[in-house]
Amino acid sequence: MKDALLTLALAVAIFLGFVAQEFIPPIEIAKGARVLLAPVFFCFGACTLPFPAMLALALLTGFLSDFTALQIVHRSVEASDLDTLQSLAGAVELSAGWSILFFVAFGLICQGLRPLVLRGHWWLPPLMSAVTTIAYLALQFAMLTMRRFDTGGLFWSDAVMWRILAPGAIALVLTLALVLASALGANHWIDERRSVRDF
Amino acid sequence: MKKVNILLTVIVTLLAIFLALLGTGTAQKVQRSVISLFAPFLRTGTAVRQGIGAMGKGLKSLDQLEEDNRRLVRENRDLRATNLILRDMETENNKLRSAMDYRERSIFRLVPAQVITRDASTWWNTVTINRGFEDGVDDGLQGGPPMTVITDGGLVGKVMTAGKNDAKVVLITDENCKVGAYVEGTHEKGIVCGVRVQDTGEPELQMNFLTKNANLQPGQKVYTQGVGAVFPSGLLIGTVKSFKPRELDGQAILTPAVDFPTLADVFVIVSKK
Repeated sequence: MKDALLTLALAVAIFLGFVAQEFIPPIEIAKGARVLLAPVFFCFGACTLPFPAMLALALLTGFLSDFTALQIVHRSVEASDLDTLQSLAGAVELSAGWSILFFVAFGLICQGLRPLVLRGHWWLPPLMSAVTTIAYLALQFAMLTMRRFDTGGLFWSDAVMWRILAPGAIALVLTLALVLASALGANHWIDERRSVRDF
Repeated sequence: MKKVNILLTVIVTLLAIFLALLGTGTAQKVQRSVISLFAPFLRTGTAVRQGIGAMGKGLKSLDQLEEDNRRLVRENRDLRATNLILRDMETENNKLRSAMDYRERSIFRLVPAQVITRDASTWWNTVTINRGFEDGVDDGLQGGPPMTVITDGGLVGKVMTAGKNDAKVVLITDENCKVGAYVEGTHEKGIVCGVRVQDTGEPELQMNFLTKNANLQPGQKVYTQGVGAVFPSGLLIGTVKSFKPRELDGQAILTPAVDFPTLADVFVIVSKK
């Protein structure tokens, strides 16, 4: 019952996290890096909840990540010849669905670490949260670079590095706060230490 | 791992693959639904933010209010004078146009909109506005071109996905939003787009495929060419900041005409009158 409630609470938190992200301005001192809240809630859940709950959260986080960031590129913009610049039907830049696979993959790693987390290794969820956030942004940028290789070529700058690493560092701090709040409040883990047989 | 867990993983993976195989139109429809799902929360958030902002703005001293009043009276006088001059010029301009039998200039039907949120994504430059397909805003899903978004300052971008009462707009500062353009007073034409990752500070645009010896000067204005069906011609995009010849072509860096960091009110061009 506790797991079901926590899963529901985290699902709501992930949804509201996407809404809140829209209102958090970019961090100027970190070259315009953004705060990502959804992976924080996902990783916390993936490290503490049973397998089916992790999958449900991965599905929700991936689905919302894909469809909030989905970019439709009209074919006209890919034409380099001005005379043939025509407005035609668009194409999706990064296919929807990849984020679900990404979060499932990282959720599987989190599940592998779950027994350790339940035994009191509190530093694992923050670490996984940072790694997941950094990997997500790095993979997104890599795919984007490959997709635009013909028209925009390779691109790298300090801003890219900051925008990948800074959200990871922020995710680490936020997950740490979440772990502390959880340990002080719900005492969820202590109860869970009784059994890890459901994995 | 339990068999049921393996089965669930396979189901989720198949679902992800199914989403990856969705056509553009279907994906855009799903995105519309997601935008509509978020809309009430975004509107509430915007209202709360505006309320907090207004409360902060309202706290001014009497001296500040007097100073504001003096400044506004002065500005009002200036604007009235400018308006009179412009009205005269407009009348003269219209007379000259009809006299020279110029083709009648296109006048657009505009839908005013407010920027609700700036997209939280790291790699794309988009904003959400509070007008959707119910207000006549079209994203090109019906077969027509996506609609253009402007301000009184110049070109902002184009509608990417229109929800019921909200729409996502891709800004010209995004690398994906490419616009055919020409430089005022020259025969130079090129394609304007944003850079992949804008550094903080003033956003910049790049204009590629110019001739190597274009020798553009800072301050020259750049307008839309109107060669595709998306952007009408003659919309101000920005001004030339610098020019550099490259191996095969020339590239100009532009300062956008629109102040993107403070973008709040925009217009969507829904049709020609």
